[in-house]
Amino acid sequence: MADVAGSIGILTQIRAVAGLRWRILRNSMRKESHRLHVLGMVLGGILSGIFILGLCFAFFAGAYAALADGRPVWMALLFWAIFAFWQLFPLFAAGFGASFEFRTMLRFPLNRTAFYIIGLAYGLADFSAVASVCWLASMTLAVAVAKLAVLPAMSMVVVLFLLLNVTLERLVGSWLERVLSRRRTRELFFALFILAMVSLNLINPIVNRYGALLRPLAERIGRYFAWFPPSLAGRAIAAAAQAHLGGLVLGSVGLLLYAGVFSVLLWRRFAAQYRGEEMSETAAPAAVTAHRVARVEETSDHLSALSPQVAAVVRKEFRYLTRNSFSFFTLIMPPALVLIFSAQFSGKHAPLNEHPISPEMLFPGIMAYLVLILMGPAYNCFAFEGRGIQTYFMAPLRFREVFLGKNLMLLSVLAVEMGLSLIMLAWRLGLPSPPVFVATLTAIVFAVVGQLSLANWSSLSFPRKLGFGQMRGQRQSGMAVLMAFAAQLVFGGISAVVLFSGRWTGNRWLPAEAFALLAVAAVGGYFASLDALSRVAEQKKEVLIEALCR
Amino acid sequence: MSEIAIHTQKLSRRFGNLVAVDSIDLQVVAGQFFGFLGPNGAGKSTTIKMLTGLLSPTSGSMQLLGLDFAAHPVEAKRQIGVVPEGMGLLERLTGSEYLQFVGRMYGLDRATTQRRANELLDFMQLADRPKTLIADYSHGMQKKLALAAAVIHGPRILFLDEPFEGVDALAAGALKALLGRMTERGTTIFLTSHVLEIVERLCSHVAIIHKGRLVAQGSLEELRAGISGEAGSKSTLEEIFLSIVGQDGTERPRLEELSWLM
Repeated sequence: MADVAGSIGILTQIRAVAGLRWRILRNSMRKESHRLHVLGMVLGGILSGIFILGLCFAFFAGAYAALADGRPVWMALLFWAIFAFWQLFPLFAAGFGASFEFRTMLRFPLNRTAFYIIGLAYGLADFSAVASVCWLASMTLAVAVAKLAVLPAMSMVVVLFLLLNVTLERLVGSWLERVLSRRRTRELFFALFILAMVSLNLINPIVNRYGALLRPLAERIGRYFAWFPPSLAGRAIAAAAQAHLGGLVLGSVGLLLYAGVFSVLLWRRFAAQYRGEEMSETAAPAAVTAHRVARVEETSDHLSALSPQVAAVVRKEFRYLTRNSFSFFTLIMPPALVLIFSAQFSGKHAPLNEHPISPEMLFPGIMAYLVLILMGPAYNCFAFEGRGIQTYFMAPLRFREVFLGKNLMLLSVLAVEMGLSLIMLAWRLGLPSPPVFVATLTAIVFAVVGQLSLANWSSLSFPRKLGFGQMRGQRQSGMAVLMAFAAQLVFGGISAVVLFSGRWTGNRWLPAEAFALLAVAAVGGYFASLDALSRVAEQKKEVLIEALCR
Repeated sequence: MSEIAIHTQKLSRRFGNLVAVDSIDLQVVAGQFFGFLGPNGAGKSTTIKMLTGLLSPTSGSMQLLGLDFAAHPVEAKRQIGVVPEGMGLLERLTGSEYLQFVGRMYGLDRATTQRRANELLDFMQLADRPKTLIADYSHGMQKKLALAAAVIHGPRILFLDEPFEGVDALAAGALKALLGRMTERGTTIFLTSHVLEIVERLCSHVAIIHKGRLVAQGSLEELRAGISGEAGSKSTLEEIFLSIVGQDGTERPRLEELSWLM
């Protein structure tokens, strides 16, 4: 009969998981390339630390000012800020990818209480929780400095607020986990996030135009927020500062009630998971549809001018683009931002009406911005291939055909994006003079085609796998980013000098002529580089396959 | 004289100090169903990767159907189909889209590619989920699709790395029948599998690789005779394998070390 291990404590299990994560980090540093990756993480950690610490000072100053200046009701605003960050940050972060599955712990002999406590402990290890705890601590310190008598009340309220937040965050997280188990939902969530970010840019124009109308509505809605946890916490502290026991009790009991209700709901949710429900990470398989694959016998081929291999790569790239919500929705950004820029610079509410920007300047500037944004992914163009990269090396083709297909697709996307942006600029601001217009278009050909060879080489030399339809946990290849930055700097610099040469010499068509020559040279260089890149691909195939098949 | 489908001479591959494949000389006759066996980490997948162009040899040479792989990689690849380790699928395409992609990559015209893709999807019982992405396929379905992709262009040599892993018994039976028919028509099949019963049932010839070196090669009868020292021996492939690979005594796990479990 085999031995059976005795029961162990929750702390031992939490310590075991923490040890596991540390070993994973340490082992990941064994490879040179991973060390750079970890260095990036450390730099990210330092930046996050600066962010948290900076806001610690802000929360300290805010809380101190609220109590020292006799305006304790302002404390509610600080609690609202922390509440919003704590709850919303993980919500959006979760949209970008499947988060750590702490339910895998169910493999081990845990009782239900241990499972619940470990679940909460994971909640406290989130970035948003760590930051919020630091900010609450700095507020508590400020209260102690400003009005020591309020410290006991503040400590109690902070503990309740903390418990309530971590419970609510885990509750929403565990619910979202179920909803986001489907890839499509995750991608939809990400799309909403992108749209929300774009919408933020519209706040200023909307407030400028409709601010007066919106204020009464905001005040009316604001009253209902008084019964939300951050307002209750703020009221409790305000009451304690004014020695109003009733208000303190009311606020604290309110928080306690919230914490209690959330705890009961979370307990029920975790209990369901503990019983083994929803263990599948993906949605239940859809019912098998009875119909067979449509026997489509297409008579026309829109890509018949291309070789079968190039046409296959173009089709595959198009399908990947439309199915990769991250890439697809980022394509909305450039024309949307062009619209926002042009809205800022035109119309009767434009803030720059006194010093309008001429299309002569704005048009080349916007186009340079589009090239900058849209060429970035080309420097790691195999990022989404995954194990499929092997198909290219197993197939009887030269790698130039893969690059031709990929580059053709990229150029098509650039053409569409620039076309849309051009229409918007023409609508809002008008077109620039013919010399600037022609010079800009030829400059685009020079800058884009000129970069393609470099981008293709970078993709072979510094590949990094990226998750499809995800943003969280996605780190671009550091060297590819550096390459892109350097190349854009060089091409941008050359283009700027050539563009301004027209002004300096007084010959307005000179830049267009110079760019035309440069564009021809860039196109020639691109085709000449394809064979060399095929040889590089053969030499680098092992690096590429290893990086993308992980 | 029979045509040689696969011929390697002193084929080697090093990863730093590790010699993964050490000077192997393989010879596979066209039309053979050839099993390539070895314990974990013996060098099987590395050998297949070299033979299919996914990995460059450190030294040595290889010819596929008389074509030197290093000199004529494109022509050599045109003759082969591969189910690689990890399957190498483009997971964000549907099964039909992937087969059409692969068909076109091998230079088939669109109509032929579509017809063959449809027939293969039907045969592999994958036709009833036309809009499902490969990422959402089960492991077994992915394996069947990888097999379909490997044969869509009618290869003369087929390399299969664990082709039946995760495939249900019904589909596996049909696949085995298909592979058998392909060898009858002259296709050479180079198969690796840890399931020795499958190899014994399907393969006429076997090679065993151990610690990067080829330690046995021949027909099953030849290997049996080599082990027992007499013709007509009834040894199973498992016995042959264990006797060759486990003869240095280091391979067999010692059960007495796990006495606390028994």
